Amino acid sequence: MENLMGMNSDKTAGLTTNPHLELPKDRMWLDLLVIAAFFLLISPMLSSHRVTDFMIFCIFALSFDLLYGYMGQLSFGHLLYLGTGAYVAGLFIKYLSPNPLLAILAGCVAASILGMLLGFIIVRATGACFALINLAFNHIGFFLVLSPLRGITNGEDGFGVHAKSFLFLDPSSKLNIFLFVLACLLFVFYLLRKLVTSPYGILIRSIKENENRVRFLGYNTYLYKWLNFVLAAGVAGLAGTLTALNYKYVNPNVMDVHSNVGVIFACLIGGASSLYGALLGGVVYMLISNYLPIYIQRWEMFLGITLLIMIFRFKKGIWGYILTSLDYLQRRKLARRTVGEAVER
Amino acid sequence: MIYTILYGFTIGAILYFISIGLSLTFGTMRVINFAHTLTYTIGVYLLISFLGWFKGYFALAAVLAVLAVIPIGYIIERFVIRKLYGESLDYTFIATFAVTLIGVDLIKWIWGVNPYPLSDPIGIHLTMAGFSFPIYRVLIFLVAILLFFGLELLFKKTITGKIVVAALEDEEGVRCLGINVDKYFSLVFVLGSALAAMGGVLYAPLSSIEPYMGLSVLLLGFAVVIVGGMGNLRGTFFSAFALGMIMAITARYWSQGAETMVFIVLAVVLIFKPIDV
Repeated sequence: MENLMGMNSDKTAGLTTNPHLELPKDRMWLDLLVIAAFFLLISPMLSSHRVTDFMIFCIFALSFDLLYGYMGQLSFGHLLYLGTGAYVAGLFIKYLSPNPLLAILAGCVAASILGMLLGFIIVRATGACFALINLAFNHIGFFLVLSPLRGITNGEDGFGVHAKSFLFLDPSSKLNIFLFVLACLLFVFYLLRKLVTSPYGILIRSIKENENRVRFLGYNTYLYKWLNFVLAAGVAGLAGTLTALNYKYVNPNVMDVHSNVGVIFACLIGGASSLYGALLGGVVYMLISNYLPIYIQRWEMFLGITLLIMIFRFKKGIWGYILTSLDYLQRRKLARRTVGEAVER
Repeated sequence: MIYTILYGFTIGAILYFISIGLSLTFGTMRVINFAHTLTYTIGVYLLISFLGWFKGYFALAAVLAVLAVIPIGYIIERFVIRKLYGESLDYTFIATFAVTLIGVDLIKWIWGVNPYPLSDPIGIHLTMAGFSFPIYRVLIFLVAILLFFGLELLFKKTITGKIVVAALEDEEGVRCLGINVDKYFSLVFVLGSALAAMGGVLYAPLSSIEPYMGLSVLLLGFAVVIVGGMGNLRGTFFSAFALGMIMAITARYWSQGAETMVFIVLAVVLIFKPIDV
């Protein structure tokens, strides 16, 4: 009898605490606070310049997660949009006006427009084709800034970005940049969190599950995929403009085709299809790639072995693993409580 | 211009060696095999070691290097790829990339990061009608043609080849006939790895040798496979030579644009013929 009761409640508990269910909305401010506190806490431990770099990478990982985790399309060329943002912002500051806020806006708009144009072609593809067509465009973009546009981009040497301070943003101060990037990260997180919990987000995830069914329901799936692609491109562009401002320097390495694997790993380590996973993965990946080479000479091997273990054992990433274990603990607690009650009775 | 055409045939032949394995593994197992770069690079480094032992016997060292890659290919297939059948594409991509990371780091450990120079092993020029060709380049082209006919024979005339072709068409159907498809997949993977190593070994004297040499070649290989059609063996042959020729002609007029031209062609092909995989 006791056992039966326990099992029953076990099942219902499993239904109510589904890890895919989003947290209630009133927890959002708490989450933002936790994220801000986390980055503020680690910034004295590492250095604020480095943590700024981490946060920019996190913004990029969030935008990639929108594409990969939520829409289910793996791209090998997402750095193209980051690079576009960085280059447009840099060129804007160099040739038009040293106003950093306008440059950020210009970079985001340029990346979104590029995403809109290429999106028409790219979104029609799926699976391997989607990944490789992105790669092809990334390669073309990398080549364009490297060679034919050498006159304005200064080829592989790159160029310096010297923005003047404007209103609250002073690019010459490290602390100011740090706080600005933190604000951007929180804003992007807030925006994407609103987006993925909205009906639009549910639709995007349904497309990931089964695109044909969504099409049968009467939705134009291409339109939504395209929208999502443009959004991801725009956010990646934002990350690019921040990169340019943070390093005060732009060179073609920002859109190097081979660096694309970094963000894929970050999403996978953290756990795809979860914004927290992308954040966590971004931080963990940056920690690994920044600090591991100092301590272990064979860090690439270490990374490779870690990834193999992740793929074979923890498919859902760190965040997914945390969620499942939390779920398990909660269920066990519930089961124990009901068993206890049954015994008392 | 004649040199350009010869150069195009050489590049095409190398691209063919590399992409045939990719095409086979993609067509049969639905795996984007990033570890292909690894077998390619390992082949080249083994060649360097063997050349050190058998002074001057390039052919012997080359054959040994290709043979030595076979067990490595088998290990990768047995312990990584086989566990990923039926998984989604991104997991297989990331797993094979992880294998590549480990392997490249091993190469750096064993052979070091410095590039090795390697000269043309034959070094004789064939003079004909006022032009002089390096024999080595002609040889590469001939090997590619031989390989093409050899593979045609393998896939048309032998039972093993026929099973693989059938599995390319319909894997479930072949399974239903009671054939252990995994065994043949393993064979195909090892064959592809060995061919990639062969491409690396043959191309090594013409290129610079460093641990990351396989990556850019692999991207070109992907382009060839997509342009030719995944799992389409003849298509791979023709697209390899067509893209090789495009690269050579572009390089003649605009040397930095050669690789990018391939990707432009890839983008155009994908615009008009999207492949759903």
